[in-house]
Amino acid sequence: MKLKSATKLPSILSAVEASPLTDLTEVELTGCYISDLLSDVLANAQPGVLWVTIHTHRNILSVASMKDIAAILFTCGRKPEAAIIAEAVEKGISLLSTPLSTYETAGKLWKAGLR
Amino acid sequence: MHHAGNGKRVKHMRARLAGVARRPAITPEKTLPAGNLEEPMARAPAVEKTLNAGEQRQVSFAQVLVFELRVRNAMTSPPITATPTDTLRSIQHLMKAHRISGVPILADGVLVGIVSIEDIITALDGGYINDPVEKWMSRKIVTLRDHFSLVRAVAEFDRHGYGRFPVLDANNQLVGIITPGDITVCLMHHLERRAEEAIAKEAALAAVRAADEKAQRIVINAEVKSGDFESAGKISQRMREVLRARGIAPDVRRRAAIIAYEAETNIIIHSLGGRITVTIDAHKVRIKAVDSGPGIENVDLAMQEGWSTAGPLARELGFGAGMGLPNIKRCADKFSIRSELGSGTQLQATVFLQKAGDIL
Repeated sequence: MKLKSATKLPSILSAVEASPLTDLTEVELTGCYISDLLSDVLANAQPGVLWVTIHTHRNILSVASMKDIAAILFTCGRKPEAAIIAEAVEKGISLLSTPLSTYETAGKLWKAGLR
Repeated sequence: MHHAGNGKRVKHMRARLAGVARRPAITPEKTLPAGNLEEPMARAPAVEKTLNAGEQRQVSFAQVLVFELRVRNAMTSPPITATPTDTLRSIQHLMKAHRISGVPILADGVLVGIVSIEDIITALDGGYINDPVEKWMSRKIVTLRDHFSLVRAVAEFDRHGYGRFPVLDANNQLVGIITPGDITVCLMHHLERRAEEAIAKEAALAAVRAADEKAQRIVINAEVKSGDFESAGKISQRMREVLRARGIAPDVRRRAAIIAYEAETNIIIHSLGGRITVTIDAHKVRIKAVDSGPGIENVDLAMQEGWSTAGPLARELGFGAGMGLPNIKRCADKFSIRSELGSGTQLQATVFLQKAGDIL
């Protein structure tokens, strides 16, 4: 998904009814990528995107930092363990969680201008 | 003027051959009023010139040398001298024996005259070759000081048109004799020496660089356990830290990281266990993954995107997309895989390193 206008993380919070799990970085998101397959993210996500996934295992942090992904948004109300949140803070990756489904989340992010 | 010549003398020729003044008598100090001063010409304006082309730089270097080097560096010392009572014939023999074309004449250690080869030819012609030197020598002498820069010496040669100058030290003692040829030889010698120094320096630098590159070699060698999903990415992470510290371009780092990560997870998901060896040097990173089985039944199939044999646990964790090997191949500059059912799989991928900002 290509970026048309840069969007900052805090501004999309309300759009998807998300709560932050870490302090949110002020970096501008370059777009969004949705996938639950790690290799797919490794292959296809662009650096600096918001990654939307249902995965909460610590592997996501490895993948995110490898791809310079700035933030991960968990859907369906999922939240990782405290240790993983702490590791994300250490790696400078912002984590958010939304009760919405991945489909609803995608629609609202698109509407909010994250493209 | 007490010239050792006659009407047939070619003035220019004479001037080129002997350090004899063509002007009315003047003392050496008066001839060279700036003798005790650092001549302003010597303050190397050439160094400040803006030079671009290599050829110009070469010229500039010679110019710098001409400013740096002193008359004492180029002169012949000690000079072959004679006394006023010696005969012109003996001077002729001196010139022949030493292959020189001018002889300063000293009386009690003081420079009192000079005889050039032109004077000798004229004496032979005039039949007075057996006369004592003092009767015919030129007494008006232009001298240089030993501390003059060579650029000053060149200017004096241009100005007077002589073939040589006697050289005096600060105590007015004759310490040498200098010709344009001496200056050329001196410059060539120094240029050669500088060139040799530059070559030696270059070789030393190359040796240091080679040693550096050797020192830059880092090997990360780690065991990877089957099913150890918690450790996935650790080797990749260590490698990325090294590459980042070395200023490797982010996209190059990312490609290497993806290869290491996929290779690591492949061993975790599919094998009985194995080992990853990451070798980083100045030019490339090589990732080698070797496992102890069970091996891939059909490597061609495994290289196809979407084909996976991952089990339910792996799939639950987001693995098993069937993109691991294709991802590795896509990210690698060099890639090879060998697998045999029952014995295991060896995978090797190389990424050539580019620093951030390098032109691709």
